[in-house]
Amino acid sequence: MADAVLLDHVTKRYDSLVAVHDLSLSIHQGALFGLLGPNGAGKTTTLRMMMRILVPDEGRIEILGQPLSERSQDLMGYLPEERGLYPRMEVLKVLVFLGALKGLAESEAERRAREWLDRLGLAEWAGRKVDDLSKGMQQKVQFAAAVLHQPPLLILDEPFTGLDPINAALLKDIMLELRARGATLILSTHRMEQVEMMCDSICLIDKGRNVLSGELRAIKRAYGKNILRIEYQGEDGFLTMPAQIEKVSHYGEVAEIKLRPQADPQEILRAAVARGVRITRFELMEPPLNEIFIEKVSASDA
Amino acid sequence: MRKLRIIIKREYLTRVHSKMFLWTTIGLPLVSVGLLGFVVFTSTLRVTHALRIAVVDRAGGLGAGLDRNLDEKLPSGQPMFDVVETLESPPGGVEARLRQEVESGRLNGYLVVPKGALSGRQAAEFHTRNSGLLMLAGPLSRAVSNAVIAERLQAQGLKVNDVQDVVQRVGLKMIKITRTGERVERGQTIFTAGIVGMVLYITLIAYGMATMRSVIEEKSTRIMEILIASVRSSHLLAGKILGVAGVALTQYLIWTVVGALLAAYGGAMAGLVRPGASLPTLRLPVELLIYAVVFFLAGYLLYASLYAAIGSMVSSEQDAQQIQLPVTLMIVISLLLFKVILRSPNSPLAVTLSLIPFLSPILMVLRIAVQTPPFWQIALSLGLSLAATFGVVLVSARIYRVGVLMYGKRPSLIEVFRWLRYT
Repeated sequence: MADAVLLDHVTKRYDSLVAVHDLSLSIHQGALFGLLGPNGAGKTTTLRMMMRILVPDEGRIEILGQPLSERSQDLMGYLPEERGLYPRMEVLKVLVFLGALKGLAESEAERRAREWLDRLGLAEWAGRKVDDLSKGMQQKVQFAAAVLHQPPLLILDEPFTGLDPINAALLKDIMLELRARGATLILSTHRMEQVEMMCDSICLIDKGRNVLSGELRAIKRAYGKNILRIEYQGEDGFLTMPAQIEKVSHYGEVAEIKLRPQADPQEILRAAVARGVRITRFELMEPPLNEIFIEKVSASDA
Repeated sequence: MRKLRIIIKREYLTRVHSKMFLWTTIGLPLVSVGLLGFVVFTSTLRVTHALRIAVVDRAGGLGAGLDRNLDEKLPSGQPMFDVVETLESPPGGVEARLRQEVESGRLNGYLVVPKGALSGRQAAEFHTRNSGLLMLAGPLSRAVSNAVIAERLQAQGLKVNDVQDVVQRVGLKMIKITRTGERVERGQTIFTAGIVGMVLYITLIAYGMATMRSVIEEKSTRIMEILIASVRSSHLLAGKILGVAGVALTQYLIWTVVGALLAAYGGAMAGLVRPGASLPTLRLPVELLIYAVVFFLAGYLLYASLYAAIGSMVSSEQDAQQIQLPVTLMIVISLLLFKVILRSPNSPLAVTLSLIPFLSPILMVLRIAVQTPPFWQIALSLGLSLAATFGVVLVSARIYRVGVLMYGKRPSLIEVFRWLRYT
């Protein structure tokens, strides 16, 4: 089976700036893929090249086994980071227009648009002007526009920003459902907890380069269980063990401890017990993606 | 092609359904009719009531003759001039008093015939507050001339009436030759040409700007990125320009129908405004109408692609103001050249101007309206315009493709040139 997306040594330059530098990447079909990176890393430029909005200066891009073309554009749904709809058009008409642009017959586009508006709780707003909707509602309409033509590949740039928890959960459910039906989803974000919760594979880019990519679980496993999470009652003096502990993050009575490579967690437990601290939880775990992100990005910055 | 059609359709329908379309479609003819009505009204206003004037005769002995010759009649049959006093060789200060009386409104004006008038060395003067009474110049000049001539004849011992019979002028009717026949010319041709030229001028600017604004709107609302992710930018550009062109043609069609109705019933309407008045007839031969539409389309394509490229360069309408100025100026220049064309439509200058792309859409139609030029000139003008359009569209499409994704600071000209080289 062809990859959903294949980037082969892709480079994109703007006048003096290299936005994407020799980036190679493959995303398998059915993946829920997280494209991560700090601000200005080249995420949006990469997505825009996949969408054929921008043309790479070097390298090759394939979508579902075929080179970029007008047809490949129809295979993708796109939710850009900068949202926008025609403010003075009616919601339903905008959706029908955007659906038709992706190849749907107008009657079919209208049927599906009504379904989606219903699903997203916007059925009563179909005849209203886009301008009358709140930002969150407009964002849901935009999401509907991206999925209306049932694209096998869906590219979502920061899909959750500006949504309340209920709507964010609704969107998440829909995304998981689309994936269960066989669609490939690419999520671009710098919100790590969402990626950790949803994605099965990731690519971290910084300054236009691929810094880290692969299956999320494999990446975490490679880092090993070097994080110790302790819930305790009592003095925190036992946490001053420079030989064992690299860094401690306190959250009330919870401490997230980053261990040194050769550290022995048993030593820390022993020290705590010796000082009469009551341990209610003691868990050795893989590093959160956040840690990996910060480590990788600061390493590549150095 | 299917996507192009969808873009055109949206552009067309949202515009035709907008209030703006309704207002301009109704508004422009109303304003034109209003203007015509105003012209009719003011031109009849001048001659509705008798003018109280004084006559200062510095030559001496002309008073009675002037009185007799100031015999112009109003449409109602009443005399136009009411001579309240005639002063023969008055003392110097009298004109100051008359001026005061004009200012206070007791007099509408006073006529001064200087000594030198008899020998023809000095001109007569009519002093009035209302310089709009230009059309009085004819009757007044005639009266003074007749009185002076009569005086000169008498000095030679000739009888005025005999001489008048001898020098009786022959009138002249202007007849315009057209392909469909001959007709009496009373200024309708110039009038028609002026109106058609003005409509072209207004619509070229209005629809060019509309295209620009539409591009800016898609940029500033950020829907552009979604569009570009679905459609080729050249199709987006073409769809926008053609959609707006469709709106323009719809508006033209409505105006043509309204115009035809006005031509049929306009005279009766003018009669309602002021009895006895007649509307200058707007004669719009089908041939001229077709040429006007063809040249409008040619000009619109040229200007709209320029305007669209400008729209794509900027992020807001304020930013667009400065850049669009040179483009708008080119259309304004056409307007400034109206006189050159209308004065002598077949002069080498007029012919050259009407062949220059950017000017030809308006100026060639003006020439066609006044005096149909040889067909090869029309074809050449159209061909040159289309060739220029082809080049401009190529450049505009490149600017557009890069520009639509650029936000922030307005690009410099150098940056825009760099865009042209982007792949």
